[in-house]
Amino acid sequence: MSHLVKMENGQSQTIQEMLGCIERYNPDHLKILESYVQDQAKNNSYDLEANLAVLKLYQFNPHMLNFDITYTILLKCLTNLPHTDFVMAKCLLLPQQMKDENVQTIIDLADILERADFTLFWQRAEVNRTMFRHITGFHDSIRKFVSHVVGTTFQTIKKDLLKELLGGIEESTLESWIKRNGWKHQGQNLVVVATQDDKIKTKNITEKIEFDNVGALMAQCI
Amino acid sequence: MYGGEEFSTPDYYDDFAHTGDPQLDMEYERTYFARMPETVKYFLMNFCQAIKEGNLYDIQNMYENTFPQISDHHFDKSAWPEEQEVATIVDNDKVFLILYKELYYRHIHARIPGGPKLEQRINSFFNYCDFFNLIISSQNPVMLELPDIWLWELVDEFVYQFQNFAQYRARLTDKSQDEIQQLCVNHSNVWSILCILNVLHSLVDISNIKKQLEAISQSVDPQTVAGDFGKLSFYKMLGYFSLVGLLRVHSLLGDYYQAIKVLEPIEIHKKSAYSHIPACQISTSYYVGFAYMMMRRYADAIRTFSEILLYIQRTKQLYSTRSYQNDQINKQAEQMYHLLAICLVLHPQCIDESIQQVLREKNYHDAMFKMQCGDLDVFKSFFIFACPRFVSPCPPAADAPMEDYVKDPMEHQLVVFMDEVRQQKDLPTTRSYLKLYTTLPLAKLASFIDPNASEDDVSKLLIRLLCFKHKMRNLVWSKGPSGLEGTFKSGSELDFYIDDDMIHIADTKVSHRYGDFFVRKIMKFNDLNRKLKNINI
Repeated sequence: MSHLVKMENGQSQTIQEMLGCIERYNPDHLKILESYVQDQAKNNSYDLEANLAVLKLYQFNPHMLNFDITYTILLKCLTNLPHTDFVMAKCLLLPQQMKDENVQTIIDLADILERADFTLFWQRAEVNRTMFRHITGFHDSIRKFVSHVVGTTFQTIKKDLLKELLGGIEESTLESWIKRNGWKHQGQNLVVVATQDDKIKTKNITEKIEFDNVGALMAQCI
Repeated sequence: MYGGEEFSTPDYYDDFAHTGDPQLDMEYERTYFARMPETVKYFLMNFCQAIKEGNLYDIQNMYENTFPQISDHHFDKSAWPEEQEVATIVDNDKVFLILYKELYYRHIHARIPGGPKLEQRINSFFNYCDFFNLIISSQNPVMLELPDIWLWELVDEFVYQFQNFAQYRARLTDKSQDEIQQLCVNHSNVWSILCILNVLHSLVDISNIKKQLEAISQSVDPQTVAGDFGKLSFYKMLGYFSLVGLLRVHSLLGDYYQAIKVLEPIEIHKKSAYSHIPACQISTSYYVGFAYMMMRRYADAIRTFSEILLYIQRTKQLYSTRSYQNDQINKQAEQMYHLLAICLVLHPQCIDESIQQVLREKNYHDAMFKMQCGDLDVFKSFFIFACPRFVSPCPPAADAPMEDYVKDPMEHQLVVFMDEVRQQKDLPTTRSYLKLYTTLPLAKLASFIDPNASEDDVSKLLIRLLCFKHKMRNLVWSKGPSGLEGTFKSGSELDFYIDDDMIHIADTKVSHRYGDFFVRKIMKFNDLNRKLKNINI
C-alpha cells in the first residue's frame, strides 16, 4: 500500500520521499501522515520515521495536536521493543500530551515492559485492553519481545514460568511459540531456549603487541 | 554617497546630525571620533579589502586574531561601531557590511552585559537572512571566499542565536505586555524554527554535500556530483557545516532520531578531509554522543565520547592560544566527561587508559560511586550540567500565564532520562553480587539481596535479571554510513545466563597493560639520547 502526497506544484511524492526533504515540516501533510499511522495499526506494519515526523509536526503546531493518533504512535512504538523507539517518541511529547491520562497509562505500561515485569504487564494489559483493540497483533508483538528477552537470558526455563511470562497462554499457544522461536522441550517441565555457554563466556583481555605495531618505533631508535 | 572624497568636506556632518549649534557639533565630532579610533578604521578598511580580493590567509588572520584583539582593546563591553559609520569607511560595500554585521551582532551576543535587546536580535536575524539570500537565491554561485573557521562559526552562531532567542522568548516574567506582543505577534516569524530548518536544508541541497560525501565513501571524485555551487569550497563547507547545524537543532528539540539521521552521509568515526575544524568535530561528537545516550545506545555513546576526548587531549596545544574557542572546547569537554561518567555507570566497560586517568584525577569516581549506589540526585545534577540547552520550537501560547518557560523543555528531557535511570536503578547492585561468582543459584542470590527472601522474592529477582539482560543488550553500530544502524550486542563487561535455577556468570578480566608504558619510556629515552648526542664539549 503506498501513500502519495500531493505537492503544491501538482506532483505526487511517496511519504518516504517527502520525509527526505523540507516538506516533512509542512503541516499540510499532517492529515495524510495521520492516516498512514492508522493504516500501520490496522495492517500491523510499522514506520518509525513517519511516526516521529507526526510527533514533530505536533511539536511545531500544538494547535493541530491529535490525541488518538498520539496513543496509536506510542503503542506502535511498544510493538517494536526491544528497540528504544518509545523513548525517542517520548522525548518529542509536548507538556499537554504528558499531562494526558491515557498517555500516562501508556508510559506506565512502557515502564513495566522496560523493567521486564511481564506478569504485571499482562495484568495491566487486561485492564486497559480497549486501548489497543485497534492495533492489530499488539499482544503477539509484546510476546515477541518477551521471547527476545527470554531467549537471551535462559538456557533452560521452566515451562510454567515461560507460560506466565508470555501472558498466561494456553498449552497449544505455547507450542506454537516454542516452535516459532526454535526452542525445544526437555522432559516434562523444561524448555531449552538456547545453548548460551558458548556465547556467554568469561573474557580475558590481554594486550597483544605485534611486531608491526612497534616496528616503526624500534627502527627509529637505531 | 559617503565616498572617501566627501569625507573631508565640511558638509559631511550634515548627513548626520548637524544641529547648528557649534558647541554641540563639536561634541558630536569628538564622540564620533572617540568611537572610531584610527586602528579600528584602518582594520576595517584592510579587512574589507582582503575579503574583496579573496585573500584567505589575511582574512583568516584578521578574523581569528585582529578582530578579537581589537574587541578586547576597544569594545570590551560595548558594541562595535554602527553600520552607517562603517559604511562610509568601506565605500558602502554591501557584502562586507553583511559580514561585518554578522560579527557585530555576534559580538553583542557574547560581550554585552545583559545580552542583546529584542531589536538587536531581530536585526541580527534579518542580517542572516540577507546573507543567506545573497548566496542561496543567486542564479550563479557568489564568488566569495571565507576561511572555513569563519563559515563554521557562522553556521554555529546562527543556530546558537536561534537557541538563545527561543530561550529569551520563553521567559515571559521579565517582559512588559507590550514587549510580549511585539515578540509573539508582530515578530512571530523572526527566528522561527521553520526558517532555521529551511536555511540549513537549503545550504545542504545547494551544495550537494550529501552526494559529495557519498561519492567520497565510494572513492569517486566528489567534483563529478558537486554541481556548480558545490564545486566551490565556500558552498561545500557551508553545506557540510549545515549538516552539523541540523544535528544540533534536532538535538535541541529532543529529536535524537533525526539528529543522527541527518548525519548519515558523514562517517562519524572516520577522519575525513572535512574534519579539520576542531570545534566542529568536537561539537559533532558531543551531540552524537548525547543522542546515543538518550537512545540507550551506551556502547556507541562511550565510543563517541572517548574518541573525541582522546582527540582533545592530543590536540589541545593547537587551539589553546585562541581563548574564545578554547573556552568553549573546555566546557564541552567537561560536559562530555560528565556524560561519559553517566554512561559508564549504566554500562560498565573498558575504556582507554588515559581517559580513565582523567576521570580519576578529576575525581569523577566519587560521584560515579554514588550513582552506582542509586543516588538519583547525582544523576540529575550530572545530566543538568552536561545536557544541551533544550528549547521549545514555539513561543508560549498566547493565553499562557506570565511565567518563565525556559526550563520546561529541559525538564521534559530530564524526566525521560530519569525514568530510564530509575528503571535501571537496581542493576549495579545486582552486578556487584554477580561479579563475585561464576555460578550462583537463584535462591542464593535472592537471599543475598534480602536475608528473609521468600519464594516471591525469587520471582522478583528473576524480573531484575530479565531487566538486566534487556537493558544491557543494545544496538551497537558496527559499520556503514548510517549511525542509526547497528546490531544487538551485550557490550558490557559482565554477562550471564540462567540455566533453570542456576545463574552462570561471565566476567571480563583485563590484564595489566604494559605496551603503552614501554612506548612512552622508549620515546623518553630516545629523546634523551638525541639531546646527549647534541652536546658538544
